[in-house]
Amino acid sequence: MRHRPLLELLPYYRRYRRAYALGSIFLVGTIALRLVIPWLFGDAMDDLRGLESADSGDGKSSAAARAGRLVAINAAIIAGSALVGAVLRTASRLHILGTSRRVVHDLREDLFAKLTRLAPSYFLRTNTGQIMSRAVNDMNNVQGLTGPVFMYIAETALLFAIGLGVMLTIDPAVTLWAVAPFPFFIWRARSLAKVIQEGSRAAQDSLGTVSDKVAESLAGQLVIKTLGLEGPDFERFAVHAAEYRRLNLEVTTARARLMPLMSWLAALAIMLALVAAAPRIHAGTLTPGEFVSLIFYLQMLAAPVATLGFVISSLERGEAALVRIFEVVHAQEGLPERPEHLRPDSMQGELEVRNLSVWREPAPTADGAPAPAPRRVLCDVSFKVPAGTTLGIVGHTGSGKSTLVAVLARQLEVDEGRVFVDGRDITHLSPIWLRRHIGLVPQDPFLFSATLSENVALGVRDATPERIQTAVKIARLDVDLPQLPAGLDTVVGERGVNLSGGQRQRAALARAVLLEPKILILDDTLSAVDRHTCDAILSALEPVMAGRTTLVVAHRISTVAHCDQVLLLEEGRVVERGTHRQLLAHGGRYAQLFEAQAREPDRIEPADETDSADRVTAPSGQEATP
Amino acid sequence: MSRPAPIAPPPEATGLAATAPAASFGGAMVYDPETKSAGAFEPQLLRRLWSYVRPYRRHVVLSLALLIGTQGAGLLQFFLLRHAIDVHLVPAELQGFMWVLAALLAVSLVEYAGRRRQVWLLDLAGQNALLDLRRDLFRHLQRLSSTFYDRTPIGKLVGRVTSDIEALQEMFSSGVVTILGDFVLIVALVFFLLVLDAELALVSFVIIPCLLVATTWTRKHVRKAYQIMTSRRSRMNAFLHEHVTGMALVQAFGREAAAQDQYGAINREMRDAQVDAVTWESLLSAVTDMLSAFTTALILWYGGRLIVGDVTSGAPPELTLGTLFLFVFWMQRFFQPLTDLSHKYTVMQSAMTAAERIFKLMDVRDFVPERVDARAPSEARGALQFDGVEFAYAGGDKVLHGVSFAVRPGEKVAVVGATGSGKSTLLKLLTRLYDVQGGAIRLDGQDVRDYPVAELRRRVGVVLQDVFLFEGTVLDNLRLGHPEIPDDVAIAAANRLGLDRIVARFARGYHEPVAERGKNFSSGERQLISFARALAVAPPVLVLDEATSNVDTETEELLQSALKELIRGRTALIIAHRLSTIRDCDRILVLAGGRLVEQGRHDQLLALGGRYRELYDREYRKQAATAEG
Repeated sequence: MRHRPLLELLPYYRRYRRAYALGSIFLVGTIALRLVIPWLFGDAMDDLRGLESADSGDGKSSAAARAGRLVAINAAIIAGSALVGAVLRTASRLHILGTSRRVVHDLREDLFAKLTRLAPSYFLRTNTGQIMSRAVNDMNNVQGLTGPVFMYIAETALLFAIGLGVMLTIDPAVTLWAVAPFPFFIWRARSLAKVIQEGSRAAQDSLGTVSDKVAESLAGQLVIKTLGLEGPDFERFAVHAAEYRRLNLEVTTARARLMPLMSWLAALAIMLALVAAAPRIHAGTLTPGEFVSLIFYLQMLAAPVATLGFVISSLERGEAALVRIFEVVHAQEGLPERPEHLRPDSMQGELEVRNLSVWREPAPTADGAPAPAPRRVLCDVSFKVPAGTTLGIVGHTGSGKSTLVAVLARQLEVDEGRVFVDGRDITHLSPIWLRRHIGLVPQDPFLFSATLSENVALGVRDATPERIQTAVKIARLDVDLPQLPAGLDTVVGERGVNLSGGQRQRAALARAVLLEPKILILDDTLSAVDRHTCDAILSALEPVMAGRTTLVVAHRISTVAHCDQVLLLEEGRVVERGTHRQLLAHGGRYAQLFEAQAREPDRIEPADETDSADRVTAPSGQEATP
Repeated sequence: MSRPAPIAPPPEATGLAATAPAASFGGAMVYDPETKSAGAFEPQLLRRLWSYVRPYRRHVVLSLALLIGTQGAGLLQFFLLRHAIDVHLVPAELQGFMWVLAALLAVSLVEYAGRRRQVWLLDLAGQNALLDLRRDLFRHLQRLSSTFYDRTPIGKLVGRVTSDIEALQEMFSSGVVTILGDFVLIVALVFFLLVLDAELALVSFVIIPCLLVATTWTRKHVRKAYQIMTSRRSRMNAFLHEHVTGMALVQAFGREAAAQDQYGAINREMRDAQVDAVTWESLLSAVTDMLSAFTTALILWYGGRLIVGDVTSGAPPELTLGTLFLFVFWMQRFFQPLTDLSHKYTVMQSAMTAAERIFKLMDVRDFVPERVDARAPSEARGALQFDGVEFAYAGGDKVLHGVSFAVRPGEKVAVVGATGSGKSTLLKLLTRLYDVQGGAIRLDGQDVRDYPVAELRRRVGVVLQDVFLFEGTVLDNLRLGHPEIPDDVAIAAANRLGLDRIVARFARGYHEPVAERGKNFSSGERQLISFARALAVAPPVLVLDEATSNVDTETEELLQSALKELIRGRTALIIAHRLSTIRDCDRILVLAGGRLVEQGRHDQLLALGGRYRELYDREYRKQAATAEG
């Protein structure tokens, strides 16, 4: 038997078992009270029918009075049970559906906590979109499994069980005749619901594409106009818009079948009941009142059939979503904190790498093809950086620079070989302690939607405004502050002001400077900052770097020329090592690279994009160029 | 011809909250999507909506006719059942019973077929009308001028084309259009019930006002709860997205616990909003069900009293059991449209708001002004003249202060200057993305504003840094926007630039499909494609915004030689970033602060020792210093 993903939810269900149990009891009560009504109505009709056949005279009046009383009592009971039923119904929904929202809340909480514990390598392998899809779409689908789906199934099952039971006691033959077409209609409802749901999802995706195309076209309208591309651009949009219409109509086709079919089910069942009931009423074994009760019941049973199809679909979808969510929840935490980890009081900053190799798993392919073998991205790398000195690392894109940095910053696992900090193997050191003392400034830094100063003070909760100011000044971010609407208090990030690449890099640098790390790693940090500013930053950094170990990663040699030693990485291997002068004198790959870069120096202006008002920008997503 | 007047900067540029000015702009209405009119059902709006539905009016009319027919068929079935009960079942009289059955079957089949067709026709009409509207709206957006886009956030415009049109679609699919059918149904029901038994009918209607009040009130709360939930959900998703993206940072700075706390608070708020929504929804369905059962009880009690009264007084009962049955089932039919009424009203309201926003956008007539008598001179030699050109972006400082220069046909001119010096603006003014605010730009002696815009943009070829590749093959991209160019011309142009060597790596050569955003080409190769595109059109004037991005040395050489080939025999205005390009030009214009400060050849300008020298030294001396170590 295959593993039931639902079992994963058991601990969550258990937490709220009281609420679920109460809700279920109320549910049974609700259904029972609903089913009382048709019976009472039929019964009252028979009481009234008796009057017509009764003899005239006094007997008749007293019979009439008695029948009137009975009918009034039945009507009162109907009203009473409707009232109690409404209360019970609300209570059962609040217990079951309300609890379902609580369970999903707990599940979301656990998923997020797990995400904070997953190693950076997990986030490198899995893109943001995939994780968001787990946390949002899959979570929505799972919500059904935490209450609504089962409540609906239970409700329908109870309705059929109790309802059919009552109907069979009234008249088994008529009942069996009348419910005979139900299985076919349930099957049909199921298949149509499937078409509708899959179609709606496809239409939704298609609308997303339409929306993307519009955003892309509008963002690129300057380019489109200049090149006179309105025609092809419109065609491109029109194709997607037409596809969206087609998908919607596909859903409509199924919808137009499902709804009338279900109301025909009720009509058909009643007709069959009529055919079967007529001879029996004629024979006197079935009263007209009982027959009316049966019609009432048949209407009640036919109503949920259409929805049943959708419920089964959500059950399946929910299970699939659950599997994906628990894949994340059970994912291995790459670098967990362990009690036996060392947390020395201070760090000197001496760094040694011995025969380090790192493999990278290729990204999982979408079509489920067998994944290619892991690729070795770092190969037998060894070097030593004395405390307080600087090391430059140069190499092309893909040479392994960023992987090396990620390993040193304890974001990626050491696969083979050893890395020492102050002579201690880093696998014996607490990852949190290590990260606390290593300041990594990535090439494409991330800013949260918070004020600029909150972003700078991310790692230091008690940072004084003065310290923040100093860090901002060192990173040369202060010159940009007057351009921002509220200076350091400007909200930046996705929901705030969009900073340029250079500004973001400098903000990230200020963040690392404020942290006062023992080891500072600049991973191509100043690539989007113009030369002039870059030099100014590097000289401002000099006093900060004194007494700290600094690693400067760059693809331009000029950036690392002043480092105490330089490594040249190629395809994961250290191919050359020495000072800038030594390597130039050596006349090897480094010298060649330097020559090549010196030949293409003719960029006559800074590339910092602080002023985007003067550029024509191609469609690039959300950012509009005014 | 209207000249744009400077207005306040767009809100997203200053980072301030939406404080878009309600300034009048070149005679065109300022587009402000937030203003709402008081009435939700303006006849004006409905008329405009109708103009889109009109081509499909036969569908709509037929659908409505079918709707009324099927509603009638639905009612008729219960009427037949009443007949069966009164005539055949209660007296146990089977004579003619088969006819009743046959009628029931026929009526129910008619209802089934009619409803199928009705739903389909209505949705088809809706989808067709909305596709037309969507296409018109997109066309309209394409025509709007650059100044419009400067002050309108793109996100809002995307919303018009997507979510607002969705709101209109909801109107078709959720049955708002069928309100008319519901109305007919209700009127018919009231009429027949009154005819059947006026007294019992009036009693049966007693609950209706309660129903209307209760459902309207609860639905208001449901709606409010959903609004809160939606805004909290988007907040939660934004938080999640941000923290998933920046998780490495959260971990590097030891902020895991703080992030969990923050998320916990957002998550709790979300849960509370959800529970709130569940509560009101449960209440709504429970109350509706209860009131329906109350009506049944009421009919039974009062109907029973009527029958008993008749029997006691010895009169033949006016009210039959079948009628009693009919009252109960018809009243249930009555409830459905009434419960939906408040929901449909909400859908209708949001559809009208959406329609209002859409048509308001359609009313913006902020196009590039084109003279009715616009004509291009027959001879296209490629002589350019900038004459005292002045320009400022909306709300900004002047970026060009009286720039004047002329370019002879066939001359190659480089424009250099720091970022913000105004050199890209020259390009935008020449192609009329914006219009000059002072002075004039002339092409072959005629003001560019007197050209038909399309002809101007055909004569002035533009190659931009950012290359825009469409889906389709490489060949499709070569003649983009000019389908009239034959295959061999496009390919010959591409071959001249050496593109054949690049497409040689694909089995299908020039017929290789371009991946999304041109991912199967390097940035240098994409540049080359855009060169070839311009060459295929063969414009007399070429304006080129040279790429600043670094490409590998081999592609760089290919690009440089392609560039030479591309501008041969044409007037070229190049916003140059590479020294080799600048050196090869006939003349260099140096812009600073929106003014033309120097012009001349490379060596002349170097010798001058001015602004150009400064620019040149800043880059070059550094290289020299690094070379020495």
